[in-house]
Amino acid sequence: MKFSKYFKDNLYKLVVFVVCYVFNLLIFLAFKVGKPVIISSSFLYIVSFLLILLIPYFRKRKFYLNLLANIESLDKSYLVLETLSKPEFYEGELLYQALYEINKSMNENVRLIEEHLQDFKEYIEMWIHEVKIPLSTLVLISNNHQEQFDKKTKLQLKRLEDYVDQVLYYARSENAEKDYLIKEIDLVKVIKNAGLKNMDEILENKIDYIVENVHYKVLTDSKWLEFILGQIINNSIKYKKDMDDSFIKISVLEKQDKTILIIEDNGIGIKKSDLKQVFAKSFTGENGRKGSSSTGMGLFIAKNMCKKLGHKIDIESVYNKYTKVYITFSKNKYYDVLK
Amino acid sequence: MIIEDEELICNELSKLLKNNNYEAIVLKDFKNALKEILTVSPDLILLDINIPFLNGEALLQNLRKESNIPVIMVTSNNSEIDEALSISYGADDYITKPYNPNILLLRIGAVLKRTKTNYNLKENELVYKELKFDIQKGIIKKGNREIELTKNEMIIFSYLLNHQNKIVTRDELMTILWDNSEYVNENALTVNISRLRGKLKEIGYEDVIDTRKGLGYILS
Repeated sequence: MKFSKYFKDNLYKLVVFVVCYVFNLLIFLAFKVGKPVIISSSFLYIVSFLLILLIPYFRKRKFYLNLLANIESLDKSYLVLETLSKPEFYEGELLYQALYEINKSMNENVRLIEEHLQDFKEYIEMWIHEVKIPLSTLVLISNNHQEQFDKKTKLQLKRLEDYVDQVLYYARSENAEKDYLIKEIDLVKVIKNAGLKNMDEILENKIDYIVENVHYKVLTDSKWLEFILGQIINNSIKYKKDMDDSFIKISVLEKQDKTILIIEDNGIGIKKSDLKQVFAKSFTGENGRKGSSSTGMGLFIAKNMCKKLGHKIDIESVYNKYTKVYITFSKNKYYDVLK
Repeated sequence: MIIEDEELICNELSKLLKNNNYEAIVLKDFKNALKEILTVSPDLILLDINIPFLNGEALLQNLRKESNIPVIMVTSNNSEIDEALSISYGADDYITKPYNPNILLLRIGAVLKRTKTNYNLKENELVYKELKFDIQKGIIKKGNREIELTKNEMIIFSYLLNHQNKIVTRDELMTILWDNSEYVNENALTVNISRLRGKLKEIGYEDVIDTRKGLGYILS
């Protein structure tokens, strides 16, 4: 609350005062009142004017300054009302009441939306389980009648499966509830499962799946990590170069306080201008626009999941040369004690 | 034994199992599931979690009070928590739908091998005609002649041996190799097969592995 602005707002008081004062002087002069009376009453005039101007200013100043400062400093500024004491002047009371009502109605709205969202998520999860039943049946049928269904069917079914999984993990990673279980996991197993899951596509695209020494244990949820790894592998397959010796190489860098899983490919890479945004929602970038099917969701979900699990995910790439993804697991000393 | 309420899946699963020399029985009466299981007394149960009356987990808990029949949980819910729960209730493995049929068969084989007490072959030695195959050492022996196999050749040979006189697809071989963390590509598989053929020939078994074009291989 700036005094200059407050003053400007109260300029009309000054105008009224000056006009009254001038009239008063004229009356004094008309009645030929002595100088001492004029001076003393002028003094009274001016003092009372200043008081009328300043007292309300100082009364309101504290409340408004607090309000503004707290809004500024709060992370969730809609909670500001909780930090203020009820003001002792009428305008303030009105404002306080209004804010209170607005807040209440907003809270109700938010709760309603949250409920809807929750319902929707539950529906999605249920739907995914439902859709997996016919999908499993199809997979089995295509396997049992290989003379009628060739490899193409299998690969398309696999894609269908991948998209369904993506939705599932998106719903899960956005969910406030804990839907994961962190325990000690052997990386070998996760890498094997991710490889097996994508084996057909990797072989079909003539990519070498190279796994170096990965006999390390990390703290994570194996299903989630498998999905994250799957997204990265899928990207490597999708953005491979059109040549014969494509590879996906998985290795581990073990440090004192952390374990880093590295997934490297020699695909088309990512342009520098796109690199910063690869984890953004729905970001497809130049590669995505060139390719056919890019939702821009894979890495976004992967990043979200890593954040929830407490891992770090980074990407490094040189356009037309390679892409490297790093997933960092920190080691938890407290857990060692528990073991 | 298959415990699953989707009829189509049951049919296709049975077909898959029968194609791979297993006998498959489908549970009919979900209301008295436990009783039916105990009467049939199967070697292994594929148990879906979402079934009528008692769900799969509860059924498993009840079953474990009575019997140690190996159980593989099959579910569309892919979560670590469910897996941990199932295992703690006594499941031997946990597979999520939609499963890759080759992997499902591998898991079934693995669980059976692990749990079957009267496994009719010695764990570490397979026999093919007059040939002895020492899995531990990775050696095939005929009389005094010994030939060493590489890990990949061993995996391929033992798989062919377990499916003797049946066509084994390249897909199946790939799956079992990858399942053993041997991430070979198509060329490498071909090379491994021809090396294995060479080694078998050396020891006196020429042309025992036959290529069926477009289908796979067969060990006769």
